[in-house]
Amino acid sequence: MSLIELKGVSYSYPVKEGYNVKALRNVSLAIDKGEFVALAGMNGSGKSTLAKLLNGLYIPTDGEVLIDGLSTEDDANTFEIRKKAGMVFQNPDNQMVATIIEDDIAFGPENIGIEREDIIRRVDKALEAVGMSEFRRRTASKLSGGQKQRVAIAGVLAMEPQILILDESTSMLDPNGRKEIMDIALKLNKQGITVINITHNMEEAAIASRVIVLRKGRIAMDGTPKEVFASGQLEACGLTLPPVTQLSRALMDVGFEFDGVVTSEQELVEGICRVLK
Amino acid sequence: MPCIEIKNLNFTYSKKTPYEKRALKDINLTVDEGEFIGLVGATGSGKSTLIQHLNGLIKVQDKKQSSVAVNGMSATDKKTLKKLRFEVGLVFQYPEYQLFGDTVAKDVAFGPKNMKLEADEVDRRVRRALEVVGLEYDKFAERSPFDLSGGEKRRVAIAGVIAMQPRVLVLDEPVAGLDPVGRSEILALIKKLQKEISPTVITVSHNMDDMAAMADRIIALKDGEIVADGSPKRVFCNRRLIAEAGLDLPAATRITDTLKARGIDLPSDIVSMDELARELEKLRKRGLLKAERSAESDYFGKAQQDDLSELSGEDDDV
Repeated sequence: MSLIELKGVSYSYPVKEGYNVKALRNVSLAIDKGEFVALAGMNGSGKSTLAKLLNGLYIPTDGEVLIDGLSTEDDANTFEIRKKAGMVFQNPDNQMVATIIEDDIAFGPENIGIEREDIIRRVDKALEAVGMSEFRRRTASKLSGGQKQRVAIAGVLAMEPQILILDESTSMLDPNGRKEIMDIALKLNKQGITVINITHNMEEAAIASRVIVLRKGRIAMDGTPKEVFASGQLEACGLTLPPVTQLSRALMDVGFEFDGVVTSEQELVEGICRVLK
Repeated sequence: MPCIEIKNLNFTYSKKTPYEKRALKDINLTVDEGEFIGLVGATGSGKSTLIQHLNGLIKVQDKKQSSVAVNGMSATDKKTLKKLRFEVGLVFQYPEYQLFGDTVAKDVAFGPKNMKLEADEVDRRVRRALEVVGLEYDKFAERSPFDLSGGEKRRVAIAGVIAMQPRVLVLDEPVAGLDPVGRSEILALIKKLQKEISPTVITVSHNMDDMAAMADRIIALKDGEIVADGSPKRVFCNRRLIAEAGLDLPAATRITDTLKARGIDLPSDIVSMDELARELEKLRKRGLLKAERSAESDYFGKAQQDDLSELSGEDDDV
């Protein structure tokens, strides 16, 4: 059994009376434990809707979403599902509930009735995982955007989830903040947490083990970054190749050769050195 | 006469409290009309504080020492301050969060109405502004701005600023949060606005690739001070300074450095992928040429030896 399963999921929401927008159309999908999935697509492709279906924030209009075998449709499962799948949103300023950082992180475990000693242990561990231990008694308002998102991730980690969902969590951050968050996501993934990163940044997609591209509410592509970048279909989905891949393409036109599709700076540099040395 | 003139500008937040922070330190800056400035700097370096001085949103603290003027209108003089606000159009980060009109037309009309323009002039400007940002008037004017897509909302917000026809357009992170299609549309729009409405543009950005591609001049701030000012090539050439200011290099410059470290001979002032591709193509051709030449000279060298031995053979016969 896969950790996450979508079976023929559709989701539409009413805009006006008698007028619905179909955000997702008959999407079936399975994600296994330990995967690092980038869920990509242009604005309006349905990627954020899909994310919100994964922890029961939305319930499918049709079909079924199973998290570790539990259907999101059953109210009795909601609590358990939210513990399993934690979500970090786009705007770092909208996610803090407490003024002091450690209180903010303790909020989740407190809510599910964890013992005090265990809460302290969880908060310590979560802060350490995101490199924010020294900030524990500071106020959140004085932090940078990247630090706020790290605190938000720590808040999710304190629930000891199996799945971390990043819903465009880096899109409001500067390049340093973006890198901080991606490094943490990779580290957590190595420790066994399944990561789902919703993004339209293809450099972020390139570090995932699997890229799922949505277009108009349907899955347009599903494969490794290399497969997806090689497909020639990204532009049609409103996305662009990462700069290193674009450069490698331009170089191939003038006689350079690379081993398959270039998705990292290292592959690009190795390929160029092979030809020029 | 320069378009923007800033002299000895200082600014301190929360003065005389434990939270006192000097956000700007002795800023001196002139910008000519027609320039496209990329204003860069790490979070907290003073970029936003600086641009908010340009149209008087933040008041100049020390009026004796400092001055800020745009096209001769001083930000410290009450009489010119109001005119200055219309001279400098400020597009904030995520400007779509500031839409408030119940229709797109009303939202865009807010600025020109404040300028006390005649009703038909307001209408003319609203039409023009929507047209320039690529939103068809008849299709969008009567819609609620809240029913639009993210990219469309941002266009409406920009239209609301350019409807005042400012001579200077200042944009704070104009493409933040947009998908690739939205990004390139808005970047192209900014170039178009510079051509058609606001000849002087200042864009605040964390994206060095965009800035290297678009700006004539990069101004880098660090802890409230200008630490670099010049063409993208000149500014990004100073790797140490860029690192100290907490900035990224353009991707092409970064890759160039990695290649140079591996012994590939490239110029230091590459700032775009196109340039890098061209330089690498040159190196490859040169390499091929060299290889050809050495192959040729090997061939001739060998042929000559063969000829000589043949000759000597003949000699033997004689």
